Amino acid sequence: MSLNLIGLRTVASFSARKLLMNRRWMLVMLLGGLVALVMGYAATEDGANMDFASDLMVILLLAFLLPVLSLIYGASMIRNEMDDRSIVQVITAPLDRRFSYLGYYIGLVMVLCLLVTVVTLVGGLAFLAFSPEREGGAQLIITFITLQYLGVLVYSALFLLIGTLMRQPIYLGLIYIFIWEGFIGSVPGSIGNLTIRHQLMVIASELTEYGSVAWTSGDWAVSSLALVILTIALVLAGAYVFRQEEVS
Amino acid sequence: MSNVVEARMLSKWYGQVIGLNNFSIDVPKGITGIVGPNGAGKSTFFKLLTGNIKTNVGHLRVLGEEPWQNPSLLAKIGFCPDYDFLPPDLNGREYLRFVAGLHGMEGLRTVDRVNEVLSIVTMTKDADRAMGGYSKGMRQRIKIAGALLHDPELLLLDEPLTGTDPLIRKEIIDLVKDLNKVHGHDVIVSSHVLHEIERMTHQVALIYKGRSVASGDISEIRRLMSDHPHNIVLEGRGLVPLAQTLLTKPYTSSIELRPDRLGMFVRVDRPEEFFDALPELVAGTGAELERVESLDDDLESVFRYLVG
Repeated sequence: MSLNLIGLRTVASFSARKLLMNRRWMLVMLLGGLVALVMGYAATEDGANMDFASDLMVILLLAFLLPVLSLIYGASMIRNEMDDRSIVQVITAPLDRRFSYLGYYIGLVMVLCLLVTVVTLVGGLAFLAFSPEREGGAQLIITFITLQYLGVLVYSALFLLIGTLMRQPIYLGLIYIFIWEGFIGSVPGSIGNLTIRHQLMVIASELTEYGSVAWTSGDWAVSSLALVILTIALVLAGAYVFRQEEVS
Repeated sequence: MSNVVEARMLSKWYGQVIGLNNFSIDVPKGITGIVGPNGAGKSTFFKLLTGNIKTNVGHLRVLGEEPWQNPSLLAKIGFCPDYDFLPPDLNGREYLRFVAGLHGMEGLRTVDRVNEVLSIVTMTKDADRAMGGYSKGMRQRIKIAGALLHDPELLLLDEPLTGTDPLIRKEIIDLVKDLNKVHGHDVIVSSHVLHEIERMTHQVALIYKGRSVASGDISEIRRLMSDHPHNIVLEGRGLVPLAQTLLTKPYTSSIELRPDRLGMFVRVDRPEEFFDALPELVAGTGAELERVESLDDDLESVFRYLVG
């Protein structure tokens, strides 16, 4: 195996381990607990069914937890290492910085996929535990986990790039999530379609028949392609920025 | 290739702050000490050598290659920074495995090499403990082990003695000497304390305010230090006759006697001659000295003198 591939694997595995060892997991547990509580409570309400569960998952997972977790982990990943200067080990190794960046990205994606899986399972199972209707529940959970994996790919690429570019990436990230994805995304018309969340919902409409998300208009193939292209463009841009960056 | 580093008219600035200013130096093979006070530009120089930052102006060659955006050069360089960056939750062996992976090393060869460098830095016994519990000296040694792991031609050690106690200093100084003598690595080591560097090497470069103010054999530097004017404080009794005698000596440029006559400041051009003659002058004038102290024996004043 070439030096760059061994190095990429090393950066991915050690950065993933570092993220998982970080105290932020307490925040994740808190958010996961909140999701489980809300979904468990909602399941006890009259008329709770899979449509209701699907709508809840869109709000709690797709619109909130997925981008927020991606921001918390992605924006701080390389930026924190630059700030505490632990990045020195990576940037003084004979590894092309573009491969190092890809290693960080893969590590981030692995960790976020693990976290969204756990939170979605906990939230989904909490709903199913209290809901009188359970048919289609497992399929719905799997659908939302799959959707979030795709979301993780895009959001990770976006927030890792912002974290590499900026010293205070959290503010821009929050503005993006709550203003662009939240506010602009809810504006009627075509501008509202220019969000990652909307593209994920278009894909969701193809994967599930439950909830209002099933009625989202759009071509799931075009949305998938758009997200893949966006992800690749963001990763390439991040790798370029990281290669050009002076680290003092 | 006779020099491991060649820098010509290098300048590096960070916004309004100048890190290096028209900095030129040739670093030969062997051990070379880079000496300068804090903020002189030593760390900036190391960052340029490792390609972490790029020069604004000038020409830099490390092992014959341009360092900026040149990852293959880093296979020949081992860098140990002056700050602490070790992950506290990893143990020493895990950390070295991480470093090995970054250098494209894997398999049995890596296990053997990790054991070998742990032995070189005498950390075998503590290699399986979490690094968060390491002492300063242990952390320095494991950092050096990380820099050594891929068997580089050139080792860059930025202030490896900072914050260590005298015993650890001796161990690290001996280790640096061995790294060159026994293991054949060329070493560039920095410090803000000249005598620490002097115990490792006679080849020294002095940096002050981003400029290389002198380089060469340490005896030359010593000569420069002894040649520059010194302000010396003398305290005791019977100083007036001593002051009168000193004023007749060619190396004395001025004397300022305190009003209480129990102390004086003497400015001398050639301190070595002054210190050689002082015992005889004291005995001849009957003065009783309680304190003799040069106010200019620190590096900072030598640098100020060298840069005018």
